[in-house]
Order: sequence, then C-alpha cells, then structure tokens
Amino acid sequence: MERISLNQLGSMIVLFLIGSSSLFLLASDASKDAWLAVIVGMLCGLLILWGVNLSLYRLMPHRNLIEIIFELMGKPLGYVVSIIYVLYFCYKSIRNVREFGDLIIMYLLPQTPLPVLILVVCLLATYTVFHGLDVFFRMAEAILPVVIIIYIFLFLLVAWSGLLHVENVTPVLDDGFKPVWEAAVPELISFPFGEIILFMMFWKYTEHRGNMVSLVVKCFLFSGLFITFTNFFILAGLGSLAGNVTIPLMQMTNLIDFAQFLERIDPLVALLLFTGVFFKLTAYYFGAVLAMRQMTNAPKIAAVLTIGAIIYFGSFLFRNYMEQVWFGFQYNVKYHFPILQIWIPVLLLVLAIIKKRRSEKVHAK
Amino acid sequence: MSEEKKDGNVKDEKDVNVKGGKKDDNVKNEKKDDNSKNDKNLKQLSTELDQNIKMVTDELGTQPDIIIRHLHMFKSSKAALLYIAGMTDVNAVNLLVMSMIAEPPLSSGSEQEDSPFDCVMYRSLAVGGVRKLDSINEVLHAMLEGNSIVFLDGYKDAIAAYTCGVEKRSVEEPSTQTVVRGPKEGFTETLHINTALIRNKIKSTNLSMEYKIIGHQTRTTIALVFMKGIADDKVIEEVRRRLDLIDTDSILESGYIEEFIQDKTFTPFPLLQNSERPDAVAAGLLEGQFAIVVDGTPFVLLAPVTFVKFFQSSEDYYQRYDISTFLRIIRFFSFFASMLLPSIYIAITTFHQEMLPTQLLISIAAQREGVPFPALIEAMIMEVTFEILREAGVRMPRIIGPAISIVGALVLGQSAVQAGLVSAAMVIVVSFTAIASFVIPSVNMGTAARLIRFLLMILAGTFGVFGILAGLMMILTHLSALRSFGVPYLAPIAPLVPGNLKDVFIRVPWWAMKKRPSLYQNQAGTVRQSTPSSLTETDDEHTQKEGEQQ
Repeated sequence: MERISLNQLGSMIVLFLIGSSSLFLLASDASKDAWLAVIVGMLCGLLILWGVNLSLYRLMPHRNLIEIIFELMGKPLGYVVSIIYVLYFCYKSIRNVREFGDLIIMYLLPQTPLPVLILVVCLLATYTVFHGLDVFFRMAEAILPVVIIIYIFLFLLVAWSGLLHVENVTPVLDDGFKPVWEAAVPELISFPFGEIILFMMFWKYTEHRGNMVSLVVKCFLFSGLFITFTNFFILAGLGSLAGNVTIPLMQMTNLIDFAQFLERIDPLVALLLFTGVFFKLTAYYFGAVLAMRQMTNAPKIAAVLTIGAIIYFGSFLFRNYMEQVWFGFQYNVKYHFPILQIWIPVLLLVLAIIKKRRSEKVHAK
Repeated sequence: MSEEKKDGNVKDEKDVNVKGGKKDDNVKNEKKDDNSKNDKNLKQLSTELDQNIKMVTDELGTQPDIIIRHLHMFKSSKAALLYIAGMTDVNAVNLLVMSMIAEPPLSSGSEQEDSPFDCVMYRSLAVGGVRKLDSINEVLHAMLEGNSIVFLDGYKDAIAAYTCGVEKRSVEEPSTQTVVRGPKEGFTETLHINTALIRNKIKSTNLSMEYKIIGHQTRTTIALVFMKGIADDKVIEEVRRRLDLIDTDSILESGYIEEFIQDKTFTPFPLLQNSERPDAVAAGLLEGQFAIVVDGTPFVLLAPVTFVKFFQSSEDYYQRYDISTFLRIIRFFSFFASMLLPSIYIAITTFHQEMLPTQLLISIAAQREGVPFPALIEAMIMEVTFEILREAGVRMPRIIGPAISIVGALVLGQSAVQAGLVSAAMVIVVSFTAIASFVIPSVNMGTAARLIRFLLMILAGTFGVFGILAGLMMILTHLSALRSFGVPYLAPIAPLVPGNLKDVFIRVPWWAMKKRPSLYQNQAGTVRQSTPSSLTETDDEHTQKEGEQQ
C-alpha cells in the first residue's frame, strides 16, 4: 500500500485548511472583529479535532473513517452512514469546483462557458487521483513552499505600499464578545476548521505514526493562525469594504503599487486561488473515491470515474454563484455540516469507548 | 528475431550471456569454456588447420580485409594467424608474428614438459592477453572484436590473442557540457578508453565494472560501473535485471539502452542523465549513481537521477560556492522562462490585457495593430520558425553557417516585423525563450521544456492564465509520479530530504557537505568526510580532504 510521510501529511493539512479561505473574509458578520472570530473558530475546531477525531484515531489507528463506521455501526446502518459521507465528500468537492469555475469566469475568463472550465478542472483532478495517494501528497509537499512564499511576498508588498491601516481594526471588541461568538459558531467550525474530518480517511496511510497526532495539531494551529493573519490583513487593508467584495485579497492586491513597477499582481492571487481550490477539491475527490472503494470493493477505474462524473454533473446543481453561496451559508454550514463533522464523530467516539470498555471487561474476566 | 535465428553467426541468448563476462578478462576464463563445451549448438573446430581456416572463410566470406598469415612454428610444423585488417593494432600484430617465428624460448626447466599447444599459448606469444577457444562461433566473435586468432595444426583449440586496436579518436575536449573551469577531457568512442578515464578519476578498489554484450548483431559491449558500498545494491540488482531483459539486434548508442531501461517511456522528462565528461560521471558514481558506458559513443548514462540533477553542472563544484548558487538560480529561472514565456505572452495579450502597465500595453497594442493573426498563431509561427532554424543549425555544413544566421536573423526576424507579419515584442519573447533554453546544462532537460512549451502555448491560447495554471498542475502531477530506478523524481523536494537540500537551489561550500546525498545509496555509504567503516580504500582521499580544510 502506498505510504505517505509525516511531512507530506502536514503539507497537505496546511494546504487543505488554508485552501482558498485566506482569500476571503471569513466571519464577516463580526465586521471589525472577524479575525477574533477566526481564532475562536479555530479553538473550537481544535477542541473537536483533539477531543473527537484524534481520539477516535487513537482508539482505532489502523482504520479509516469508513472502516470505523462499519465496525461500530454494523452493516446496514454502516452502509447508510457511509453513503452519506461519500455524498458529503462529493458535495464539498462540487462546491469547490463550482465556486472556482464561477470566480474564474468573474475575474479571468468572462467569455468562456462554465461547463468547459469545470470539465478542465475535473479532468485535472481525475488525472491526479488516478496517480494515487502518494503522488497527490508529494505534490502538496512540493507546492506548499511556493504557496507560502507567494503569500509572504504579497503581504510584504501590501505592507510596503502603505495599505495597512490598523485603525480599521480598532477598537477591538467594540460590540462585545457576542457577535464574535455568533459569527464563529457554528459557521467557522464547519468551514474551514471542521473539514479536517476528511483526513480521517488518510491518517491510516501515514508512516512513522508515533508523532502524527502532535504534527496534525501543529499543522492545524499553523493553518488557523495563518487564516487569522490573512483575515486581519484584509480587514486592516480594506476596512469596511472587505465585507462587500467577492475576493478581498484580489481587491487588495489591485491597490498595490510598488515603485511604479509591480502594479498588477493578480495572476499571483489567481495562482493561490487555483492551488488552494485544486488541492481542496482533489482531496475531497480522493476521500470520496477511497470511501466508495472501501464500501463496494469497486475497481479503481470505476470508482474514480463514477465520483468524477458525480462531481462534474453535480456542479450544475446551482443556478449561479450567489445561489451557491446563499445555500451554503443558510443551510449547509448551520445545519448539515455540523451533523457530519461533529455529531456523527461524537457518536462514533461514544460507541468506540463503550466497545472498548466492554472488551476490557471481557478481557478482565 | 526470426531472421537472426536463420543466420549461422547468431546464437541464442544463452550464449550471449555466457560471453558477457569474457571481454574484460581475456586471460582467466578457462572455467567458462566448460560452459560452452556443453552447448551442443556450437560447431567444434577440427584438428586440421586448413579445415579450420576454411570454416572461418566460409562464415565470413573471402573478404579482402581478412588477413590469413601462414607460418611455421617451432614445434607444430604449421600454424596460421588470422585477423581482420583495421580492427587490430598493426604494431601488436607485428610483435605477435615476430614472437611466433622466433626461436622457441628456453624451457622453464620444470620436470613436466608442456604440450606444444600450451607452450605456444603460455610462453611464445608476445601479447597481453590470450584465451583458448574451442568453437567456430567463439573464433568468429573474437575475430570480429579485433583479436588475432592462432590456429595450430593438429589441435582442436584455437588461441585468441588480444590485439584489438581500431583507429580511434584521441581524448578531446567534449563538445557538449563545456565548462570554463574544470578538466577539458571528454569521453571518446572507445569503451576501454572511457572506462580508463573513469578509473583515472577514482583510483579505488570499490569501483566496480561489469561487462555485458548486448545486441544480437552488433554485439556491443557495455560496462555497468558503480561504487561498491556507495551505490544502492537494490538499484544495481534492478539495473542488471533490466539490462538482461534487453532483446534487440543492435545497440549503436547509449540512447538505445536508455529507452530500454527507463522506468517510464511516455514522459518528456529524461529519466537518465548522460554526460560526455569523466569528472561528471565520477562525481555521480561517488554520490551513489551507477553509470553505463556503451562502446561506440562518448555519451555515458548516469542514473538514478532526480529532476534537480539536470540543473547541476560539474563546474558548480569547481567554482566558488556563491557564484555557483547564483548560477543555479539563473538556471531554474531560465528553465521556467523557456517553458512559460511564450504562453504568458499569449495569455496576457489575448485575455488579460489589464495586467500590463498602461504604457507597455499601449506599446504592445500599437505593435500588434498591423499583425493579422491572433497571438497564439503568431507565437506558433515564430516558435516553429525558430525550431526549424535550430535544427538547420545542427544539420547544415559548417561552411554555410553564416549564411543561415543572416537569413535567420535578418530575413526572418527583422523583415517579418517590418512586413507586419509578427510584432516586435513577439520576436523578443521568442529570442529570449530560445536563449534561455540553452542555459540548462543538460540538453535533454532543455528538450523537455521545448515540448512542454508548445502544450502550454495551446492551453494559454484557449484558457489564458487559467490554462497555464492547469498545465503546470498537470506537469506537477506527472513529475510527482515519475521515478528513476525507484527514486522519486522530485526528491529531495518531495519527498523532502532536508539533508540533501544543500546541493539543490544553493550549493554550500565543500566543507559543509559532510554527507553524500542519501537518496540513491545504501545508508552505510553516506558519510563523505570522516573515515567510513566500509570504505577503507578511500581513506587517503578523505584525510587529504580534511587536511585541506585545516
């Protein structure tokens, strides 16, 4: 079986969590204190990661999510829950594909038909998934330094151009802590921090797993702080405008004017958007394929193509970008995702502990 | 394959393998002769001298370059010396003949009298290597390799005397991979000179050379060279296996071998390195790579190899580390420029004009105003033109060179712009791309960039910047999936091997490289600068190196 190194797992977690979320203003309901909301969201996410996901992993280190479900819930119910997870992974992938397609049309290629763009993205993801898990994780390892360097470059340019105004962010907690909390929970747990549930599909394939738990937590913290930082940057740079533009980071880089030489560096933002979204959607694609193969023992080709087709055609479920965003924030983030990201794992954890107790008792006798 | 079977000259695979080890040690291979005796397919030699000569001439035909010298020797009344003119060294043959017709040397005084045959073989012949042959096929192969054959009347065996010496090029400065500072010698077409050049660099008993003969018709000798204790045994085992699997009738250049043994064929990226420089090969061997030297070509293969290896020139290690680091970065930049520049130009002028600063945009728009083609077509025309020019530059006779340069530079460049067929900016882009592609030290990595450039241009013409990004992501997937003899192609970046990053984008000073890159060697061999336990032979070298630092 293909193995992935800890370093690769870490790179993937960072790329996956950062994804495209650093380009947008998260928790815009908290306005000035959005970056605080991100910290709150991150801490809550960490609680779930540490308390639920990683606890489950420690109880059953040689099982992935689907195997855990089958082991703890039995066959009939296991099938139902597994199918729900396959569909959830597909749906997350679909959202990324669609969002990416819409943004590309909006910013780069206004005249290209959406189905063609989405086809290209899906073909690219399929090509990657075909090459296997180790190749995909090696890609993450190779590209993460590039992404980080570009971010640092962008931030330096923004700071240099004198775009940052800290007074945009002060006074901190002007409206008290309540709006911050409301913006963070449950929205920010569902997106992006709760998404780490996907990695329950991958943990089993890492080697040298002794240090894995602490590495996952470290990478999670790094990504969370990174998103907080970008959020702070966007707020400080754009002020109240931040909540009203589609891609705030793109908006901010538009304002960069460095020595009248580097004026338009939007392609760099496009690159960040592309890599972030691509890795996220492919990771979900991979998760869905793995889950499906675990469930049905389908051959690789069949699983990859089926999931690929579901993602491609699923992308046309939404009529437009706004509908997608509205649907996501109105229903998914508040009601659907918490079930899959929090409540089912908690249930699994409870079942696992009960099972362990029982087997220990049997053992003791 | 079926044609070969009909031919009497060519024998089955087994014989090829049996002969594999023979070329090198001409003297001590009596053991292997037992093997060939068991082989029923081999036609035995006869005791009649004339019969033997007739058998040879029947097989080879009475060609004018086959020299048959009849002579009388001291004990056997009749003898004959056969060789092929031009394949042998004239002086060696003369000396051989002289020793044969001279008075017999005094008997060694041992009580046991040698048989006349042994007497000739072990005492008479004034030549470096002799070996006993007992079948007509062995005789023919030995002759075709340039050995002289001695038949003695009354004996069923023949003697092959090593007199090989084809007219050959002397060691010259290599025409590719030239350096400003560093050794100026390059490999030649002769295998033994090439292996000697490597041995000359690494005077260690750990340097191991294995010979094989590949190609049913050409019977090309190849040498697998590696450092025992440094190279990974598993990799060497795998190479041997892949070399044994080669089933072809001709090997004329190391490129044949490369295509037979590489991990993956459908890739524009080279999975084996080649070099004309003994110092580069020696450096590779010392890092745990193996080399394959093929008779008849100065290009020696080196593997396993990683992507970043193609951006290292042997000069990097002779010059100061700071300039080497700078040049490395220039090379990586040039690689990406030669791959991406035309596609970026296409994407920006076609889809994303707003990305250009206003002044530049106006200037480019003014130039493009009269151009009748879309940017993609314009770029394609210019790129294809340049590829034609480049190919013409390689093939044309040297004397016409200046003429082509004038036509290329003036007619195609300047007049095309003046005629309004292409924009001046496009010419600049194409020229820069062309120059940048020559910066990469390895020609075959430059070729990869050339091919990918066209793919990216089409993608950029269709999808703009998004197309380029998609293309790059596809290339990244492809690179991550590639392996060269089991070593991931993107190593040491992915998978990350922190210790090996000292020699990737930067080149740290020699004293800081305490270990060899650990990617393609067994762990015992990674220490470069302290006395290693398994490598006692190289101790002197190490202590010397340490002495220099102090």
